[in-house]
Amino acid sequence: MKFTRPQSSPRRTWQLGAFLLLASLGSASAQKQSDFYTREEIPMPPGEVLELSSIALMPDQKIAVASRRGDLWICTGAYGSDLSQVKWSKFAEGLHEPLGMFYKDGWLYLTQRPEVTRLKDSDGDGKADTFETINSDWGIKGDYHEYAFGSEPDKEGNIWTVFCLTGSFTAESKYRGWCMRITPKGEMIPTCSGIRSPGGIGFNAEGDTFYTDNQGPWNGSSSLKWLKPGSFQGNPEGNKFYTETKAIGARPVQPNDNSRIIKERKRIPEFVPPAVVLPHAKVGQSPSGIACDLTGGKFGPWEKQLYIGEQTKSEVQRISLEKVNGLYQGAVFHFLSGFEAGIVPVRQGEDGSLFIGGTNRGWASSGHKPFTFERVRWTGKTPFEMHDISALKDGFEVSFTEPVDPESASKPESYKMDAWTYIYRAEYGSPEVDQVTPKITAVEVSADKKKVRLKVDGMVQGHVHHLEAPGVKSASGGKLWHDEGWYTLNEIPK
Amino acid sequence: MPRAALLASILALPLHAHAQDGGQLFTTYCSACHGPDGKGATGGQFPPLAGSDWVAGDPARAVKIVLHGLHGEVEVDGRKFNLEMPPQGGVLPDDQIAAILSYVRSSWGNKAEAISTDFVKATRAATTDRKVQWTQAEIIKLHPLPPSKPPIANLISQVYNGEWQSLPDFSKLKATNVEEEHDGKISIKKAGATDLFGMVWEGDLNVSEEGEYLFRLDADDGARVVLDGKPVVEVSGIGPMDGGRAKNGSAKLSAGPHKIRVEYFEYKGNEGIALAWRKSDVPGWKSLTDTAIKGGRDPIMLAPENGRAVVYRNFIEGTTPRGIGIGFPGSVNLAYSADNLAPELIWTGEFMDASKHWTDRGQGNQSPAGDHVVKLSGSPAFSGEARFRGYKLDPAGNPTFSVQVGNQFVLDSWKPGTANGAPALVRTLTVNGQGDAVSLLISDKLALKKEGSASSLGDAITLQSDHAELESRDGKVFVKIIPGQPATLTYSWK
Repeated sequence: MKFTRPQSSPRRTWQLGAFLLLASLGSASAQKQSDFYTREEIPMPPGEVLELSSIALMPDQKIAVASRRGDLWICTGAYGSDLSQVKWSKFAEGLHEPLGMFYKDGWLYLTQRPEVTRLKDSDGDGKADTFETINSDWGIKGDYHEYAFGSEPDKEGNIWTVFCLTGSFTAESKYRGWCMRITPKGEMIPTCSGIRSPGGIGFNAEGDTFYTDNQGPWNGSSSLKWLKPGSFQGNPEGNKFYTETKAIGARPVQPNDNSRIIKERKRIPEFVPPAVVLPHAKVGQSPSGIACDLTGGKFGPWEKQLYIGEQTKSEVQRISLEKVNGLYQGAVFHFLSGFEAGIVPVRQGEDGSLFIGGTNRGWASSGHKPFTFERVRWTGKTPFEMHDISALKDGFEVSFTEPVDPESASKPESYKMDAWTYIYRAEYGSPEVDQVTPKITAVEVSADKKKVRLKVDGMVQGHVHHLEAPGVKSASGGKLWHDEGWYTLNEIPK
Repeated sequence: MPRAALLASILALPLHAHAQDGGQLFTTYCSACHGPDGKGATGGQFPPLAGSDWVAGDPARAVKIVLHGLHGEVEVDGRKFNLEMPPQGGVLPDDQIAAILSYVRSSWGNKAEAISTDFVKATRAATTDRKVQWTQAEIIKLHPLPPSKPPIANLISQVYNGEWQSLPDFSKLKATNVEEEHDGKISIKKAGATDLFGMVWEGDLNVSEEGEYLFRLDADDGARVVLDGKPVVEVSGIGPMDGGRAKNGSAKLSAGPHKIRVEYFEYKGNEGIALAWRKSDVPGWKSLTDTAIKGGRDPIMLAPENGRAVVYRNFIEGTTPRGIGIGFPGSVNLAYSADNLAPELIWTGEFMDASKHWTDRGQGNQSPAGDHVVKLSGSPAFSGEARFRGYKLDPAGNPTFSVQVGNQFVLDSWKPGTANGAPALVRTLTVNGQGDAVSLLISDKLALKKEGSASSLGDAITLQSDHAELESRDGKVFVKIIPGQPATLTYSWK
């Protein structure tokens, strides 16, 4: 930048220059991820190909990782400030595409493609020697797409599993498209139907179970779904297996093709709609691992929110959830980006560190390394962001991470809203349809200036409501780091 | 034209043009896999669009692939891929598909004409019945690829007759026939003989990008490749073309044409030559011959290390999807079925090539890598209810598989050994817990014949039994195990 210095008024020019300089510094720093979060690659054992599929946090700040090739390695030092000190040792090999792992009472528990297993080193030589099969009561037929994703234990110690459809389209082996609970005794309890192609599974702060499902047949867009026991999740391919079990009642009514979820919910009482739609291409294309922030603010003010991995875009999205009229719904926001490969597992350490594993094999991503293990730590500086969005009877309430400038925040013109839904159909994916532009007619700023209530004309039940707030400034004049969020309005509060 | 209308149309024009920016849409929807530079993401692990015949010529081919997706193995630019192109027709409207494909067809050196929105619309309307992804065979039949450039320009072949057991000095010999080979592919089909002949090919190998290139050559019998007068790779002497004698060589090459000379001779019996090349940092061989090279995918051979057996759980040809491969020191190998609770395959020599499952998405079954593969059985080993309970590994990595039958556990231990000086597998069966003797299947196809102190199973296996009661029933062979009395079976190859 070059300033012409008018000789008549040197002092004024200096002020103008300083102002512009500060302003440009301010806006640049307000937009940079590294101001808020430090993303670092954790060095991997040299020469190894570790396409990470699972991460388990262990005592004494050890971390176990498993790979798609079936290796299991344990590292120390991944929490430390000097990552060059990270040390690795190989614990096991020959596992079958494990997608879900945790540590409990001396055992590592794994959900592998064919079974739920626990393994340990019983003779103390540093290598696993005992591989106990806990349950293997579901079908696999030799199709690579028949993945099994498994959770950490729930409050009763159950592992929740979700089984991808055969080829991600059909249900050619037993319980494809189903969610199961595997009990500590090794029983398998059929829990939900209607699954298509999961990318990860986890719990929210209340202990309810969620999974991510990918865009495809009967999935207009990828989404985060609530695995309410007994529910149908939307894809009817696996419903033929209701003949195998009475655990969740009779087979639901077949959904009508080329319909809308909001319509079919009325026909199919078991149908639990996606809690949060992750609009295709706008928020991501392949959602994966789920981590709930229970660190009490060690990663920023996102207590009880969910972090969702995004395979294709090498990102992590942030989700705020609420329960309205008995159903979960909420908003998704862009959060972290720039990871080195396609993210699959996501885990958060007690110190707040977010651990990310990735692989690019077979499914490519914006990050172009073949595999990665990364850590993100909070710098302690909080970005100015929408913290969450919640639905009101006549609009939305948005809370922010810091007080807003009441003048900009109280103007309806500082916001924009559009809304749409997707065709619910057997065909792969859906365009955005039934577009509307709800009108923000009034804005009320709360006394503490950390919340705004938007009065909205034309909200549509069942639609994704896209809220932009480009005009809202913080009390100190800053702009939002990410100025948009997408809220799925399954229910309007009564 | 009224002024307001004129103004509106001027405003509308650039808006409309910008609304469908092919480059931006490509970045959003396509670049994760095909790469921002069109070369295929992650160092070319995904199919390139830059310079690809698939995007040139008849526009219907590319439009249909984008609309409905592509499934199974495809060959692009001489390289093979087995991934999935998901259908995009449900998500992308006609104008966006037109913009993306017009961008692809005019970028990175591609020079094909633009595709109009009307053409996409018409193609979509004509293919509404198409509900599944295309395969290469289907789409190429409908819309053949444009004639591809000869892999070797100005190729000339010369045929010689004579009896050699190593490569002769062709410069001192007189060719009996000389031909121009306009397809640019090395072939022995026009040699006019199948024994006692030699061939020499000369032409220009065009290198598009400077770098290190690898050449892989296999021949029956001998062959060598000379580039710009320097030998690069040679398969010498007499032998089969089965991948076992294939050799790799490398050369640093500048961009532009390079003189290639390939010399070949055939002694007697079978004949053939296979030559392929690739840039060292790009996966996938491009063939220069009419015969594809074996082991074109770089093999990833698994073998026992440091005297410890290696485990490989994956889809192994000849057993069930829940296969557990064990490669023992001493070149003996086993595939155990955790579905049928039985050792189903045993073989000698090399264990497994993991490259099939560890490349792309890992589609399909992998056959054992070694020799003398014997299928022992292919049905459940236990007649009643029995459950797989996992396995333990001893310090040498030798497995003991555990099967629960009621309250009893059948332990099935395997280790390498010898029988009459030949490699063998030693199996010890133990029943823990009180109860009746347990009968389990040894073979469901191979007949049992007594031969002195040992028996034979079929034609290939000698079976020695200690404390084991073998019996044949209904064409099957069983062993009876009494609780507390371990039985040993030693399998060796005849």
